[in-house]
Amino acid sequence: MKRLLQILFTVGSLFIAGIFTVAQAAELIVWHAYRGAEKTAIEKLAKLYETKKGVTVTTLAIPYDAYADKISASVPRGKGPDVFIYAQDRLGGWIESGKTVEPIDFFMDDATRAQFLPGMLDAMTYKGTVYGLPLNYKSITLIYNKALVKTPPKTSAELVKLARSLTNADSGRYGLAYWYTNFYFHAALMNAFGGKVFDKDGKLVLNSKETVASIKQMMKWYKQDGIMPTEPSETLVSSMFNEGKVAMVFNGPWFIGEISPSIDFGLAVLPVIDEAGKKPMRPWLTIEGAYVSASSKQKDMAYDFAKFLASEEAGLVLALEGRQLHTNAAIYKDKRVSDDVVLKAFHDQLSSAEPMPNRAEMTMMWSPATTAMNKVVKGNATPEAALKEAAGAIQDGINALHKGR
Amino acid sequence: MNVAEHLKRSAVLGLGVSILLTLVLSTWMFRAEEGELRLQQRQRLAVMHANALALSVADTDVGETGRRVSDIQKLNPQIESVIIVGGMQLVASTRAEDAAPRRLEREEKALFDLSNQIRSARETNQGEEVVRKKIIQVDEKVAGHVVVTVPYIAHGEFAGILQMKFNTTGEDVFGLTPDSYTLPLLLLVAALIAGTLLRMSADKRIDLVKLFVIGIFLAIAMLYQNQRMERYEQMVVQANQAVAEKYLATAEQYDRLGYLALAIDNSSANLWDTDHYQRPLGLIAADGSIPAETQAAHFEKRTRFFNRILWAINLLGVAVLLMFIYGFAARTYAALKEHAYAYAYVTPAMIGMLVLVFFPFIYGITLAFTDTTLFNEFLPFQDRWIGWDNFKAILGDFNLYQNTPDGIIWNYQNFYWTLLVTVVWTITNVTIGVTVGFLLAMALNTEGLRGKAIYRVILILPWAIPNYITALVWRGMFHPQFGVINQMLQMFGMEPVAWFDGVASSFLTGLATNGWLSFPFMMVVILGALQSIPRDMYEAAEVEGANPWQRLRYITLPLLKPTLIPAIVLSVVWTFNMFNIIFLVSGGQPAGANEILITKAYKIAFENYQYAYAAAYSTVIFIILLVYGFFQTRITKATESY
Repeated sequence: MKRLLQILFTVGSLFIAGIFTVAQAAELIVWHAYRGAEKTAIEKLAKLYETKKGVTVTTLAIPYDAYADKISASVPRGKGPDVFIYAQDRLGGWIESGKTVEPIDFFMDDATRAQFLPGMLDAMTYKGTVYGLPLNYKSITLIYNKALVKTPPKTSAELVKLARSLTNADSGRYGLAYWYTNFYFHAALMNAFGGKVFDKDGKLVLNSKETVASIKQMMKWYKQDGIMPTEPSETLVSSMFNEGKVAMVFNGPWFIGEISPSIDFGLAVLPVIDEAGKKPMRPWLTIEGAYVSASSKQKDMAYDFAKFLASEEAGLVLALEGRQLHTNAAIYKDKRVSDDVVLKAFHDQLSSAEPMPNRAEMTMMWSPATTAMNKVVKGNATPEAALKEAAGAIQDGINALHKGR
Repeated sequence: MNVAEHLKRSAVLGLGVSILLTLVLSTWMFRAEEGELRLQQRQRLAVMHANALALSVADTDVGETGRRVSDIQKLNPQIESVIIVGGMQLVASTRAEDAAPRRLEREEKALFDLSNQIRSARETNQGEEVVRKKIIQVDEKVAGHVVVTVPYIAHGEFAGILQMKFNTTGEDVFGLTPDSYTLPLLLLVAALIAGTLLRMSADKRIDLVKLFVIGIFLAIAMLYQNQRMERYEQMVVQANQAVAEKYLATAEQYDRLGYLALAIDNSSANLWDTDHYQRPLGLIAADGSIPAETQAAHFEKRTRFFNRILWAINLLGVAVLLMFIYGFAARTYAALKEHAYAYAYVTPAMIGMLVLVFFPFIYGITLAFTDTTLFNEFLPFQDRWIGWDNFKAILGDFNLYQNTPDGIIWNYQNFYWTLLVTVVWTITNVTIGVTVGFLLAMALNTEGLRGKAIYRVILILPWAIPNYITALVWRGMFHPQFGVINQMLQMFGMEPVAWFDGVASSFLTGLATNGWLSFPFMMVVILGALQSIPRDMYEAAEVEGANPWQRLRYITLPLLKPTLIPAIVLSVVWTFNMFNIIFLVSGGQPAGANEILITKAYKIAFENYQYAYAAAYSTVIFIILLVYGFFQTRITKATESY
């Protein structure tokens, strides 16, 4: 009996000692939703950071579909990672529900603030407070089939002229294709006309004459000019482009990997819209940031790692190996980056692009806005009526959230 | 033991247990409520001091601010320390070691963040023109030390925060005797005596004595609760008096120092005594008087939710009492005693059910009675309670269609439209599943059919493929331009159909997909049942001269019934909540017209963040299925046919 107790005691104390040593070793947990080259690149950076600072960085890839919900469920309850990487669209919701994202204004020095490309830090800022360090951005741009398009169009007039010459609806050939019923893609046109979803005070201003004009412009391309296929979707656009049935698409960096090797493609900045007073199309930027978890026990260290990911050194790895469009302005001076056709093209597009709003209310916008776009495209409603109805539905949702106490 | 004696014992035990339960629960609730009042009182005093100080330094320069802060702190021994933070700067501090003004240090990040948080809360409230974000933060991490943070407004602009540490130890404004157990004990004894004196009759379901027992229970419970309520009301009055006294004393200090003038009229609101949204509570006027009418209204509002809880406790007590006087308790006890081992074995499973099934279930239903959204889920429960409003909004909205010159326009967002779609969806799907399944099963059951095993495997395949994949494949097939279905239509010279544009055609896409997915299950079930029908029945019928139709009608179908009915019940429930197919195939297009209840609930919860409304939606779905299941089993007597 005595022996047994002794053994139990030894095992127990070893166990407790084990817990303490684990707790004391400097270890950062980082969550991301990367696969393939991006995953390899971030794992390489974790190793690099470990050798530099002596802090073990454990990266964990979470499936994208489950990612946001996993963060919402674990972090406010004191679990989860120290640092997590996600796009800005959920940021507002996390901040409103609280105890998820740590504000990092206090940590940031002026050099860090200045290192980013313009607009990047705005996406990470919510109601005047910075919550994350921007890492990379995505936007759509003009991607064309070099076999069909010699020089990419600079203006909407050129675009229509070129596209019409390449369109033959009977054989299923079109000059232009993009997912125009999806409001994310449509936003490029909306911004060209100066339309907005929310004004700077957060009031819903979706139903405006600018947005109506942008939808009419889209309808002109689709109906009057007839240069775009019906019922667009991501898969439709990519399969048509790969079959050589569509000459130009508006799409983002994720599309590059889907282009079949037989297609020789080029990239160019989205055209200027003559009808909008020669304003350029301004696509929405989705910007991924590294956030310090509000329940992290080692926030200084977590911030330091986030800062490392946003640095020039890490930016080059993420850009060249992870194929990401990093937010650090310095890397675009590097020859390897500026010689890279794809990275350079998206960087060029950045000069006319704007961050997608990060307000929590944005999630409520997608469904009614998409419904409105579909109604207009199918001829079931005028742009004015469809937008009015959508704005009404969104406003109802917002009012339910903004209930006074 | 004879019946009379048994009933008598039930009455005594029942009254004893239910009164004891009610007394314990009520006492516990009152204690909690009184504790809450004490906490609020401590915080209220601290908030009052912080508000006063913040107001007094609103228009002064830095040096004067520091001086005023330290003067006030010295005058009030309860104020342990005060700091003012503006941006990265520590503007003023009463702690000697701080040497204000100076830059914030790394460990003081929380102060900087808090300042930002309060600024953003103020801006949000002003921008949205509703008050929903707290701008006064109070916390009491160390007992007896309340830390209050209020906005520091300088020259009309937000300039930072004022944080006050307030000592509340040894302070009790409630000069009340502690809880005594005499009254509850007396009441308990009274209940037991009443129980022994009563004689219930066994043969009547409801007799006067039983009602009388319930009456006694309610009388005792309410007597006790009323008595505690009076005491509680007295505490609330004392709380207000204490704040008023403190207010006058403090105001006099400020007046004397010339920092803030005391407003001696009772017309204006008291700006010191506020809630956490910095709105005047209105319980104490600016001159320190206590207006009687707001007092009563305030108490009524304060105890509204609490009174409901008391009623819930009383109802629980009545339920327990009924269990005893109708003998359920005795029977449960006997069963527990007799099958003690069996119950011990199922306990782990029951705990598992409790945690994994019943808790989320009850939580969901409770959530339906609140107005929880993403933006207010951190608020305490009773602040979110709204009663039946969600159900009224869902069920009471009859804005189903509009009459316009162009004809009727249906409102696809309406609950009843979605319900209609769901019901039609369920009926058509189950009909298709059963019919196709039945026909295929009959075919497969043919005597001497070759390659039966192969056919069976092929026919089960749709069921074996994950339904996500099937749904996405079908979605692709319905693509108007490139989908295989329209291609085929065009091959035969027909016009392509824009499947997802029309309400009916979009409905058909879901129906086709789910029909494809659901027939294998029905087929397998029916095939199994068919094979278990004895051959000799058919032989006997044939000898008697029955034709094939008669054999089907009088032998096959009746014998299939016991298998088919539970399968249909199950299938109806599955189809009613068939989320994947609707979500992935048509996505409720066009304009949400083909949404079913469950996909709608999903959208409300995860697109609009209205968690409580979605919970109410789900509760309605549950009730519909419950009623359905109840009637289905009743009508078909499915459970008894075995």
